Amino acid sequence: MARQATAVGSNDGIGSVAGSIFKWTVLTFFLVFTFFPLVWLVISSFKTNIELQTAPFALPQVWQFGNYVNAVQVAELPRLFLNSVIVSTSSTALAMLITSMAAFVFSREKFRGQQSLLNLIIAGVLVPIIALMAPYFRLTNVLGLYDSLWALILTYTAINIPISTFLMYGFMKSIPAELEEAAVIDGASFYQRFSMVIFPLSRIGLVTAGTFVFLFSWNEFIYALLLTSSVRSRTLQLGIRFFTSQFFTDYTSMFAAIVLTIIPSVLVYVFMHEKIIKGLTSGALKG
Amino acid sequence: MKRTLSGLMMVTLMLLLALPVFASGQQEQGQGEIVLNFPTFWVGQDSKAEPLAQLVEEFNTQHAGDIRVVIEPNPDTDGYRDKLNTQLATGQAPDIFVFNPDPTTFQYYDSELLFDFTDYMDDTWAADFQQSYLNESTRDGRLKTIPYEIGITPIWYNMDLLNSVGWDAPPATMDEFWQMADDLKAADIVPTSQMTGGSNAWTSMLWYSHIMASLGGPDVWDRPLGDPIYVQAAEILGRMFADGNTTRDAVGGDAGVSGGHYMAGDTAAFINGPWYIGRIRSDAPDVHAATALAAAPQAGEYGGAQIGFLLSNLAAGNTDDPAKAEAIVTFMKFMTDPANVQQVSEAAGSLFAVKHELGSGADPLQREFVRAANDATFVVGHFQSQYPVSVVSEFGQALSALALGATDAEGFVQMLVDANN
Repeated sequence: MARQATAVGSNDGIGSVAGSIFKWTVLTFFLVFTFFPLVWLVISSFKTNIELQTAPFALPQVWQFGNYVNAVQVAELPRLFLNSVIVSTSSTALAMLITSMAAFVFSREKFRGQQSLLNLIIAGVLVPIIALMAPYFRLTNVLGLYDSLWALILTYTAINIPISTFLMYGFMKSIPAELEEAAVIDGASFYQRFSMVIFPLSRIGLVTAGTFVFLFSWNEFIYALLLTSSVRSRTLQLGIRFFTSQFFTDYTSMFAAIVLTIIPSVLVYVFMHEKIIKGLTSGALKG
Repeated sequence: MKRTLSGLMMVTLMLLLALPVFASGQQEQGQGEIVLNFPTFWVGQDSKAEPLAQLVEEFNTQHAGDIRVVIEPNPDTDGYRDKLNTQLATGQAPDIFVFNPDPTTFQYYDSELLFDFTDYMDDTWAADFQQSYLNESTRDGRLKTIPYEIGITPIWYNMDLLNSVGWDAPPATMDEFWQMADDLKAADIVPTSQMTGGSNAWTSMLWYSHIMASLGGPDVWDRPLGDPIYVQAAEILGRMFADGNTTRDAVGGDAGVSGGHYMAGDTAAFINGPWYIGRIRSDAPDVHAATALAAAPQAGEYGGAQIGFLLSNLAAGNTDDPAKAEAIVTFMKFMTDPANVQQVSEAAGSLFAVKHELGSGADPLQREFVRAANDATFVVGHFQSQYPVSVVSEFGQALSALALGATDAEGFVQMLVDANN
């Protein structure tokens, strides 16, 4: 028996080691898979363009710190970064405020034409945004908002209303009616049902939709070009494109600009990730 | 939890209240001063960015208090075109803008959106231009854009590499070209830079245009798509992608790949226009010094042709205001003044539709371009300028299929014909 037990224990040990090796192999693979493009980007940002095109995976012969100087000087990154933060944050906040209220009404109230109206709003997801360029340009000019941050904030908010409403509606619809009924029995008003019951329980949905809107606003290029004309109201994506011209792209300076623009996001995540994850999961536990 | 909602509302409110501080994009305009907005992609890293900015500053100084031109930087050429098309579609042409002449954009001549320069183009002003480009910019007797930058795209040869395998002059015929390619390959040198990527497979599309010109002559583009010479030209171009005649990354590669290999001295032959001079001079001075330009090797009945075209015209939005019209014409005359054109030409290495001398400071390669243009037996446009966007976009896809052996020369042409239907 003792010999058998030892054999079993030995098998368990081998299985455990094999599992551990498999686990770390998979994790290492994904770590490399995830980080390689970022590391490549950073290394490439220190090369010359010829080195990049002829030996894309080699280290630079001479580290070209001048690419970073070029990035800051040509693209006026600090101002564009500030504009991007303002536009992305404002459009996200505005979209979340509007769509959370809209989704609350659609998911918790009953009125005539409710489903048709909801479908009409959500159908906006299917419209390619490039098809809306002419009307948005016209509207922006008529309102006197051309070449202002307002033009981008309102446009990004409007463009994201369909998808955000769709996401928020789904989350709010899944919240049990009993919770709201209990609040009504306790005397909660219409606004209190929204602000004290449904809205807090929709935190995950808010984060999901908000992340979507923020990333869209941060990365959007064509409307930023269409609706603005000066550095006072332009965003980072336009700054990055300053390194592409009609017949040539200065990739290495562009990579330097991209690295500079992602540093703040990385720093925020490094120092705040515990709070972000805690914020994301606490809603689920309490809900 | 209520704090979350309140916080969201507070943040929104504060941001919206604070926004006017950052949001104003309105430009100040002096009393009686006419402001002309000039959206252009000649900004950032473009070789014309700096000389253009200097010219505009000089113009503004000369006309201080009367006219002020404001450059609106539009990086990304494709994005600029999207924006311009949207503006024109909504009936709002910019005050001054760069107009890319092609079959699609010339349709705007039929509208009232463009300023009509016909009556302002008197003999004195017209004498500054090469007449052929004025003719090309005129439709139904109306001159609604001013010809400005032109391009020719001869073959660039790295003579150091050719000399190293015993060639002291570029090949004159295709037979000589293939012999040269074999000699280069024997010395581990890749003969040509090619590409199938980008939005139009630019440099390889130019090779194709050269071969077509040699096969079809000055009226080559009168032949319908599907004519046998399109297949003949495709066979030759396909061979340039086979047997080690180009780099392995040519399929899918963009203009950066194509030009990068030439600048690195990896390839012996390449095609591009004069706008590339500034880049090669700064990034690869040895290759710049070793480069000679020539017409394409003769593939058919016609030799010595060049591919040339109007690259950028200057245009303006129509206006009923006589003072603004006068300001527009004043600026256009300033931009096309031969001395000012020379300034931009020498700084950027570009060629122009305006007659001008090249000073002692001109790049030797730029002088080679002028010589190549003068030596041309005839000049025709490139393939891209003859066909709609659907065919141009398909060209790169069809070329990839040809290069990878997924189709033959006839299949390549059939793909273009299908895209044209």
